[in-house]
Amino acid sequence: MLAIETDSLTKKFSNITAVDKLSFSVEEGEIFGLLGPNGAGKTTTIRMLACVISPTSGTANVGGHDLLKEPQQIRRNVGILTENPSLYEKMTAVENLDFFARAYGMRDQVAISDRIKELLEFFQLWDRRRERVAVYSKGMKQKLAIARALVHDPPLLFLDEPTSGLDPESSKLIRELVEKLGRYERRTILLSTHRLEDAQKLCNRVMIINRGSSKVIGTVNELRSRMAGHPKLEIVMTKIAPEGVVKVRSIKSVESVEVDDVTGRMVVEAEGVQAVAPYIVKVLVDSGSMIVDVHTVLPSLEDAYLALVNGGIKV
Amino acid sequence: MSLENAMLVFRKDWREMSRNMQIVAPIVIVPLVISVVLPLIVILVPTMLSIPGSSFSNSAALLQSLPADVQAQVVGMSTVQSLTYVFAVYFFAPFFLIIPVMASSVLAADSFAGEKDRKTLEALLATPLTDGDLLLGKILVSFIPAMLVTLLAFVVYTVVVDFGALGLFGRFILPNGLWLAFILLVTPAVALAGIGVTVIVSLRVKGFREAQQLSALLVLPILAIILAQVGGALFFGLTMLILMLVGFALLDVAVFYIGIRLFKREDILVKSV
Repeated sequence: MLAIETDSLTKKFSNITAVDKLSFSVEEGEIFGLLGPNGAGKTTTIRMLACVISPTSGTANVGGHDLLKEPQQIRRNVGILTENPSLYEKMTAVENLDFFARAYGMRDQVAISDRIKELLEFFQLWDRRRERVAVYSKGMKQKLAIARALVHDPPLLFLDEPTSGLDPESSKLIRELVEKLGRYERRTILLSTHRLEDAQKLCNRVMIINRGSSKVIGTVNELRSRMAGHPKLEIVMTKIAPEGVVKVRSIKSVESVEVDDVTGRMVVEAEGVQAVAPYIVKVLVDSGSMIVDVHTVLPSLEDAYLALVNGGIKV
Repeated sequence: MSLENAMLVFRKDWREMSRNMQIVAPIVIVPLVISVVLPLIVILVPTMLSIPGSSFSNSAALLQSLPADVQAQVVGMSTVQSLTYVFAVYFFAPFFLIIPVMASSVLAADSFAGEKDRKTLEALLATPLTDGDLLLGKILVSFIPAMLVTLLAFVVYTVVVDFGALGLFGRFILPNGLWLAFILLVTPAVALAGIGVTVIVSLRVKGFREAQQLSALLVLPILAIILAQVGGALFFGLTMLILMLVGFALLDVAVFYIGIRLFKREDILVKSV
């Protein structure tokens, strides 16, 4: 079942088209990554789907509710981590969470208190629950903002840059939480991020958007191979014989050869590189090269992302 | 719209405001000056009268320029009694318009435009609270404290005047019917006008300071009333009270009509970024 389905979602601000006819769908229980450079339209997309702003044209169905006709139902089902932590700094962590729990319709004081305790303990903020948020560090505010998104236990979570500004330990905590919420609790998570590492580790599928429109959607592995090409062969040598390089270049299936004399590294791109690898090694050894290491390198999501965003690849 | 949700917004905003000295300071200091400093001037009138060449020494001319009904009230009083009475009961009344307009516009500017400044709007607008819940909660959090300080200032003013001038009159001179009608009817209308104008201004500006500066312009018509009275063109009384009540009530209807039509959650957020 689809948790989110957008249909030509478009948002214009005066003359600027922030999101341009965006159509995509997210399965229930899926962690779906939204990748793109600054100004690509990620935040605007999330704001529209959370019914914070309305689309200029197009529509969407979020959690079984129509974006234009049933915004209140959507707001009730969505927990959102906004671009800014959006916390009331003169109030304490408990006061912030209590307000939002009630704003999302929770009324039972015991249930609210239990939920707040559970979240603050998880995010290691319980000991500082009575301090005003103004004295919190950036990382603590980010954790509290995520706790706020979860306070009403929503089936859909929209997280805009959840690990931004966090130290490695906190980032890991958030990644594990997102994984738990998505993989094990089957919540649908829309994750906008700059950190490709997060997308690679967490997302079932990602969509790369640029200038408001979708460039490509797929699993991380699909994108890697589609966008950044095949695996490459990397050979590290202590001595590189020039005639060996010439011979490798002349092999029929070899598409490109890059040699770095300083590091002794040679990168070979070829059709079916693993099949041709033994032959390349033989040619190099026969011509007097001294090989230390041979391995295949998979293109990273970053390669794919950069290739796409920099316009190196047309989709 | 639900009152329960509006009160939720009210309590949240009140928590934030009551911990913000930028908001609390003007709301405490201005009423204190008006309710304590002004009556002290009244009580010091007799002392000033004895200073040769002071403007108070020309009091006969001042008393003669008063409307007939006011003159009738001071018949039989000594010059000192007449001046104290006229200042305490008539001249200082319009200053009490400053308190509700100032307090309500400072509170409303913080509640509406302050959320833009502090970038707290987006999470608030993502909740299922309706525009009506937000608007009502924010109007109440601007109106109730503004009226409380106005009433409190009036009580303090009455006590200071009554006890300060007890020796002079041998009785309490305030409150009278006119003042009660003024405080209970006119000042709420003024507070609402302050809120209505600030709501409209807040939707158009980027932050608290800008909203407050523009809303501060509301003090101008009140200063005009005070100056008109000093110049003798107007005088605090039943006619002026009715005129103010009708004038501000019409202004309230106009600004709330516009404010409610303009209040759309999306516009507030988009115009703040």
